[in-house]
Amino acid sequence: MNTHQFLIGEEKIETSVERSGDSWIVTSGGRTYEISTLPNGLFAVSVDGHRTIAAAVKHKGIVYVDLGRFQFELTSATDAATSGGAGDSHRAKDKVFAPMPGRIVKIMVAVGDSVTERQQLVIVEAMKMENPVLAPSAGKVKAVHFAAGDQVDTDSPIVELDI
Amino acid sequence: MPPLFKKILVANRSEIAVRVMRACRSIGIPTVAVYSEADIRSKHRLLADESVLIGPPPPRESYLDIEKIIAAAKQTGCDAIHPGYGFLAENPLFPAACKKSGITFIGPDSEAMRLLGNKVESRVKMADSGVPLTPGMKGSGKELDQFAKAAESAGYPVIIKAAAGGGGKGMRIVTEPAGLADAISAAQREALNAFGDDTIYLEKYLTDPRHIEFQVLADHHGHCIHLFERECSIQRRHQKIIEETPSVALTPELRAKMGADAVKVAQAAGYTNAGTVEFLLDKSGKYYFLEMNTRIQVEHPITEMVTGVDLVVEQIKVAAGLPLGDHLKDLTQRGHAIECRIYAEDGENNFLPSIGTVLHYSEPEGPGVRIDSGIAPGSEITMHYDPIMAKLIVHAPDRNTAITKMTDALEQFKILGVKTSRRFMIEVLNHPEFVAGRTFTSFIPAHMSNRDTSAGESHALAAVVAGVVMSKPAATTSPTGGRQAVTTPWDTIGSWQIGDSVS
Repeated sequence: MNTHQFLIGEEKIETSVERSGDSWIVTSGGRTYEISTLPNGLFAVSVDGHRTIAAAVKHKGIVYVDLGRFQFELTSATDAATSGGAGDSHRAKDKVFAPMPGRIVKIMVAVGDSVTERQQLVIVEAMKMENPVLAPSAGKVKAVHFAAGDQVDTDSPIVELDI
Repeated sequence: MPPLFKKILVANRSEIAVRVMRACRSIGIPTVAVYSEADIRSKHRLLADESVLIGPPPPRESYLDIEKIIAAAKQTGCDAIHPGYGFLAENPLFPAACKKSGITFIGPDSEAMRLLGNKVESRVKMADSGVPLTPGMKGSGKELDQFAKAAESAGYPVIIKAAAGGGGKGMRIVTEPAGLADAISAAQREALNAFGDDTIYLEKYLTDPRHIEFQVLADHHGHCIHLFERECSIQRRHQKIIEETPSVALTPELRAKMGADAVKVAQAAGYTNAGTVEFLLDKSGKYYFLEMNTRIQVEHPITEMVTGVDLVVEQIKVAAGLPLGDHLKDLTQRGHAIECRIYAEDGENNFLPSIGTVLHYSEPEGPGVRIDSGIAPGSEITMHYDPIMAKLIVHAPDRNTAITKMTDALEQFKILGVKTSRRFMIEVLNHPEFVAGRTFTSFIPAHMSNRDTSAGESHALAAVVAGVVMSKPAATTSPTGGRQAVTTPWDTIGSWQIGDSVS
């Protein structure tokens, strides 16, 4: 039997996993789940008489789970690993990044401007469409690092805010 | 029936290339795929009988390169080319180039394509045919005051559209005169970028219409029929995401009238092969011709499900010179079909395109469940192409059953590694307004704006599955899914190219 603690966003969840013949018994939050592995990376999960089919795969330290209606990314709370990549929820709210690589069409703010949360700051063109980039928080524009026409990736902040 | 063509080259990629190839194979015609360097391991390439590498990932250097595609067709001995949709499908230079090379283009001729592809010219042409048009600018415009005048006359709100347009690009809605100038420059910019042509025009913007389109099919012997309508009002930023047929808004009389007008449009343009005539239907039951699309459309499968007709096979037959067959007489719509487009877009985060590797991919199955997909486990979604991954179509005896069936199919469809809009679509389908059939083009802004995107109750369920994944041996770390859990030789073959010289 082993214990795994996971982080989904800010929430920590603990699970105790035990092998039981061909399937697994997992307890979490006071409830007991029975999980069978199906071919092709699928799992059948039963709890309180209710059955769900899930897909799950581990990749670069993150476990991805598809429950059908909802999809999740879980990191191990017991590892010291970071989640890395362009995960939006782990970004500081004072830096504004392109959501994916593209070309800057327009920057609608200048240093010194006050912005509100979700205000459109930049338009990035990618996949043949114009994508607005919104302010993650209200604040004042501290720095603008690019100009219209520049190519950007997802790791360099386009705009920095004082929040 | 002996094969209609020796070999068909499919000038496209992903799910439509796969679907067209299936049609070819179903009537015994071998297929040739073209692919870019980004699609070396793609499903469409691996499914074809032969394939030709035509360039680096950017479409301009690969899927949009007419010379390279014609060369690939000649190299492999193809006598016909199917363009799919998007890319070169509505570029009049393409059928012209095929004709010049003695290759049959599976679609209309370049003149019909050119006329109908220019939304301004086709409006002008249809004005004479007796088909009702949306009020608006007679031709195209360049000066702000031309637009301002046309807008005053048609009445706000108005919509600026690209003459060379489609797919929701190069469009801007304007609710008052102050917004006109900005809308014009934004539309011109997007149009130039997407279509290489910044010609724009103006129409009255009908508030809350339904988008109803009719499938038409015309042969080279003067026969033209329609295969009923598709209701495509569930759109986000003018991109369709859910389509269905029949439309609850059409009585048999209205259907017959609109169908007859759709045929009239096709005939007025001298159209041949498959096409789609788009109308807007307002709440008073009045309809207006919007435009005609000169290609097989993304949502064609729902028409196929209710009529039992394989439209791509019919396209091939028309291109081979056959007249429309007797099996196309007296068609009826049987049951109800819905399509959901599965895009690599995060439905819970403003539909931002999601790039990455598909780590898990498994499809729902069952009678009346159809998937046209270009994706397999391990596929890469890149920024080079449209983010459509697959189309999920269901067919059921009635609309309510189709909704339940589609909801279940969306839940059984498992995709990991890229974000999709499946949950968004489940919420749309089960929204009381959708169930009631009140689907107007305002649906998404009106009903889906303030969504609760939390999923707190399911966190524990996800965690327990993750617990098992962590406890299992390493097998769950590679891309999973599909019907075969075993690797194929394709996974280990590395890079190679047909026709590579041996040195």
